[in-house]
Amino acid sequence: MKTLIDERRFRAMRSNVAARSAIGSAWWLGSALALAASIAMLFALFWFVLVRGVPALRPEIFVTVTNGISGGLANAIVGTFMLVLGGLVLVMIVGVGSGIWLTAFAGPRMVEVTRFLTDVLSGVPSIVVGYFGYVVLLGYLGWGFSLAAGAIALAIIMLPYVVRGTDLALIAVPQELREGALALGSSTSRSMFMVCLPSAMPGILTSVLLAVSIALGETAPLIYTAGWSNYMPSAAPFHSPVGYLTYVVWTFINQPFAQSHALAYAAAVILMAVIFLTNVVARTVVDVAAQRLRG
Amino acid sequence: MKQKFVALVLGCAMVASVATAATAETVKMLETGSSLLYPLMNLWVADYTKDNPGVQITTQSTGSGTGISEAISGVAQIGASDAYMSDSQLKAAPSPMLNIPTAISAQQVNYNLPGLNDVHLKLSGPVLAGIYSGSIRYWDDKSIVALNKAYASKLPHKGIIPIHRSDGSGDTFIFTQYLTFSTPSWKNGPAYGTSISWPAVPTAVGANGNPGMVQACKAAPYSIAYIGVSFLNETDKAGLGYAMLENRAGNFVLPTAENVSAAAAALVSKTPADERISLIFAPGAKSYPIINYEYAIVREQQPNAETAAALKKFLSWGISSDGGNAMKYLDKVHFKPLPESVVKLSIKQIDKIH
Amino acid sequence: MTTQTQVDRATSPPTAGAASRHRPGDVALQWGTGAMAAVTAALVFLIAIFLAVYAFPAIRFNGLDFLTTLTWNMGNQYGGGPVARNGIAGMPGASFGVVVFLYGTLMSSFVAMLVATPVALLAAVAMVFRVPASLKTPVNTLVELMAGVPSVVFGLWGIVVLVPWIGNALGPWLSAHLGWVPFLGGSIGTGNGLLASGVVLAIMILPIMAATMRDVMSAVPSSIYEASIALGGTSWQAVTQAVLPAARAGIFGAAMLALGRALGETMAVLMVSGAAMNQLPQNIYQPINTMAAVIVSQLDSALTDSTLLAVRSLAEIALVLFAITLVVNVGARLILRLAGNLERSA
Repeated sequence: MKTLIDERRFRAMRSNVAARSAIGSAWWLGSALALAASIAMLFALFWFVLVRGVPALRPEIFVTVTNGISGGLANAIVGTFMLVLGGLVLVMIVGVGSGIWLTAFAGPRMVEVTRFLTDVLSGVPSIVVGYFGYVVLLGYLGWGFSLAAGAIALAIIMLPYVVRGTDLALIAVPQELREGALALGSSTSRSMFMVCLPSAMPGILTSVLLAVSIALGETAPLIYTAGWSNYMPSAAPFHSPVGYLTYVVWTFINQPFAQSHALAYAAAVILMAVIFLTNVVARTVVDVAAQRLRG
Repeated sequence: MKQKFVALVLGCAMVASVATAATAETVKMLETGSSLLYPLMNLWVADYTKDNPGVQITTQSTGSGTGISEAISGVAQIGASDAYMSDSQLKAAPSPMLNIPTAISAQQVNYNLPGLNDVHLKLSGPVLAGIYSGSIRYWDDKSIVALNKAYASKLPHKGIIPIHRSDGSGDTFIFTQYLTFSTPSWKNGPAYGTSISWPAVPTAVGANGNPGMVQACKAAPYSIAYIGVSFLNETDKAGLGYAMLENRAGNFVLPTAENVSAAAAALVSKTPADERISLIFAPGAKSYPIINYEYAIVREQQPNAETAAALKKFLSWGISSDGGNAMKYLDKVHFKPLPESVVKLSIKQIDKIH
Repeated sequence: MTTQTQVDRATSPPTAGAASRHRPGDVALQWGTGAMAAVTAALVFLIAIFLAVYAFPAIRFNGLDFLTTLTWNMGNQYGGGPVARNGIAGMPGASFGVVVFLYGTLMSSFVAMLVATPVALLAAVAMVFRVPASLKTPVNTLVELMAGVPSVVFGLWGIVVLVPWIGNALGPWLSAHLGWVPFLGGSIGTGNGLLASGVVLAIMILPIMAATMRDVMSAVPSSIYEASIALGGTSWQAVTQAVLPAARAGIFGAAMLALGRALGETMAVLMVSGAAMNQLPQNIYQPINTMAAVIVSQLDSALTDSTLLAVRSLAEIALVLFAITLVVNVGARLILRLAGNLERSA
């Protein structure tokens, strides 16, 4: 019978505790350094944009629209929110739904196939998603540069992360919890919504936050679906281009004016700040909810 | 009391109807395309829409190819392009298109040569073609020394790093046109375009956007790059030198206002009615060889009369010397105004919009 | 004592038979979520079909040369009219090949995975086993936040900070000390190239890998860890020889997700790769070009081709990238299955 831990290996090594401890300590130090490096990198990147964006970071940029090369970021900020929110609604329905189906209803064959396809989807370059949206949504369906097209493009990009994350999170729900609910006579859907999903919520949230973070930073797909607009976005889902922060970063950095560059970096700072805030707020909410569930 | 109330309601209704009527008449236009023309377009739109509140113009910087393509398909009303449409593009377009020059832009060739950046080296089309095709590998190559005998001892035996644009670019278009018109071997080889199949030179590097070119040139000693004139301030700040280029008459000239205008004036008489003409390698003793018209590519037939009228008004304002072609706009991007006779041709073309 | 089956169950899905009660609510849920999964799957097919149909004329024009030639030439847009080859119209001189971009994509992703996987694994281990509970949330958040840095910012940081450092410091040092290793010697150039692209990609995929690996490792029952300590292993051994193997499938899944991102990344690589054209790099410091980056950078110019052949050839590149992603995923799953089978038979 195969046990999980190879006893022979352990017995042979039990004698040289000191050596093993030393090696272990060295590796633990390495892991601590790796973690520290990851976090330090984040600060380095934030500092990089902050220093360059400071000249443009005045309160007015939140209420002024861009005038093409400088001005404010109000239209881009609102546009980014609307696009990501739209994409989020779509991806929560499709992504979490797919994840639930994978863990609760799908046979092993279908599980493999669906997981495989999800991984393939994550490898599609964002420019292909954008051009696909351009040809199908703008061209074939005639929507023009629009909120709907942009939201769908973002949803496609976010989808693999949410599906995989929901999948992994639901699997991690302890078997006893699942079986306990069923033993008490609840249906699959009841146990899913009352037991599994709440328990898996932190994991699902991680993947959703990851997906939103990635979507917030995308440029290529939005250029071909949402377009760009110097004006505040309307609520119209079709035929109305929408501005977004990454366009400012990508395009304004290529302008010959110093104030454009500063605005570009300011947009990057705001983006990163928005992501930070979203993460912190969402985590706090979920932690509080999880506490209440347990308590 | 009741009468006053009714009057108030009627008053509000009238105001409301006027307001909705006003907003209902807002014409929305989309300009997309060349990143070279984008800064100027934005300067224009900001002021123009202040004086013309019934118009909303959205500007996008996407590239000349996208500008032409979206103008043809009608997604955009104005396609900004550094290149006029080619014969095959015009033939392939489903409805008649207009190529309307809006301003004149130029380009300089920058280099980063430690010790020589405050000097204007003399370079010619064939020499640049040799550098970018790999046949001229070192800064002290005899063809470069032959043009710059005064600095023969200062030119180092270091490998040249030719930097080109990795993205589709009007700057690439006009630079490669200069190489094509001046060098037969380049004409039969890579020729010109917004992107070309750059010859495989081991040290060659591609950079993204004009600022990318500036950064790459600044960071790599012994490199050479072609950069749009709007970025002359940036290249000066970065401490890069720029070259005197050989024009068709055999003289070596700098991209000064005088030399750019001389080149434009030399070709004004040759400009055809459809205004599709290259200003590269213009004849004339003082002509600077790399200048071009910035085009607004427009469909003759617009979806409705209001859009056509608004478009005509905006474009007419743009090319007039009291409007968009005033120096207060052009100076900010180092562009030059359109010559009078070209403006007349453009007005004739704008009239065709309906 | 925890058995293999218990661990298997914790890290793999329950069979459909486990939920044997099917009530009307269940049926509705099953069909509803099944439809969602169908949408996910359908998207992949839609995109694949779109690419195949759109690229078909280019496939006919380019033939097998596409996979063997280094040249990427749209032809002369402003010369004469279109010429025909294999029945499809293209501009004179047009010749499209994907080799340069295929090489760049594979090599940059390889370098990225080489650099990022050990770091992510080590960081994830630290996050699960060494970070005190009170600091867990802030630390986890900080690591994940880096996934939200826009790729454009990575590109900007790359050209201002990373590329000069590679060109002036790291490159010369590596070449001087490790120049005998193939690919590490030779001229350094500007620093724009394979190494810069690989490092930038590595930093970009690090948070995804670390966060997902962390989640997977946290899910492994602590009894596994405790059992190996009880057997006399050091804490490090407990992690590497008990917990990691138990979480093996999930860790692999995390790596695959990250690899997918690396293969498809455009903006950041576009800015630091050096945009090589018609040539392959001689070492890791020289310029490359990746399939995703070349699609972005060439798309606008391709639109000037009135025959649209250039755009369709770009779609053909996207199709090749799609095929690569398929192959990588299939290969990875095969490897995993083989590794699992080998272990079980030992």
